[in-house]
Amino acid sequence: MSDTQWETYEVFHQSRRGKPHEHVGSVHAPDPAMALQMARDQFARRLECVSLWVVKSKDVTQTDYQDPNFFSRMFDKSYRDPKAFDAPAKEKE
Amino acid sequence: MNELISYLTALADDELVLGHRDSEWTGYAPILEEDIAFSNIAQDELGHSLALYTLAEGLGAPSPDTMAFERSWKQFTCCRFVQYPKGDFAYTVMRQFLFDSAEHVRMKSLASSSYEPLRDCSAKIFAEEAYHLMHTRALVERLGDATEESHKRMKAAATAAFPQALGMFEESEGADTLVKQKIIIPNNLLKEEWLSAVVPILEGASLTVDSQSPSDDGGRRNNHTEHLRQLVADLQQVYQMAPGGSW
Repeated sequence: MSDTQWETYEVFHQSRRGKPHEHVGSVHAPDPAMALQMARDQFARRLECVSLWVVKSKDVTQTDYQDPNFFSRMFDKSYRDPKAFDAPAKEKE
Repeated sequence: MNELISYLTALADDELVLGHRDSEWTGYAPILEEDIAFSNIAQDELGHSLALYTLAEGLGAPSPDTMAFERSWKQFTCCRFVQYPKGDFAYTVMRQFLFDSAEHVRMKSLASSSYEPLRDCSAKIFAEEAYHLMHTRALVERLGDATEESHKRMKAAATAAFPQALGMFEESEGADTLVKQKIIIPNNLLKEEWLSAVVPILEGASLTVDSQSPSDDGGRRNNHTEHLRQLVADLQQVYQMAPGGSW
């Protein structure tokens, strides 16, 4: 039996220019243009928002939580970590 | 300035009644995202009615709460179009699209009103209605010819709603005075602009309508359908339990 639901789109929300877009959830929509409108009603009505991105869920390629090797760090390589300076999350506008 | 009060009240009544009809989908819409979208639209329409009743209050009309919750249904001057039941989702979408398109041309025309408070108010309403129109137009264009069932329902919706929609352009009492003072432009000019906007969009979605349909007039003269009686009773039910009380 075929699923008659619309595809889902992942929604990313930017509260202010210069800040990174953050993943806030997903919407069902028949196409990208409507996905943007749905995203606005669901995720941008009550929050400050200057930009929304929508991406089809099926276009998100992701790592597998069950894979133990993809992120493994077997040897201490802390000398490589960026500890000497602050890496801020936002750029100045 | 009674003619202006009548005019503002008629527009406010349209927004209040349609906002109420839209809100009847909350919890029942066929798609979660549309449930949220129409709840949003309903809240916006109620906000517009409040802004318009407030303008009228500034001219000596009763307060917005009095207008919404204490008038008899026979005193309302909304058009008949907005009082019909919500129907199926196709009818709701079609009605909202036709209404949003009319708001679009009307609010745009009020940007050059000689009455400054109305210029300011219409600019705000225009900005919100632009979003509604984007949404309902997108739905009409998609549902109009998507599947056999969507086309059938949208066609029935267009056939029912179009003559009703023409009733939006019935003039209020004393409108020609407002036209002379350049506060508004005549409704028949707005109707022409509205027709030239909506007919091509409907036809593009495989929905034909008859521009010469007889218009479902009467609302501006308090000549309403029985539907409005029930709607106003529902709307006023809680307030009437304790009129003037604080909540």
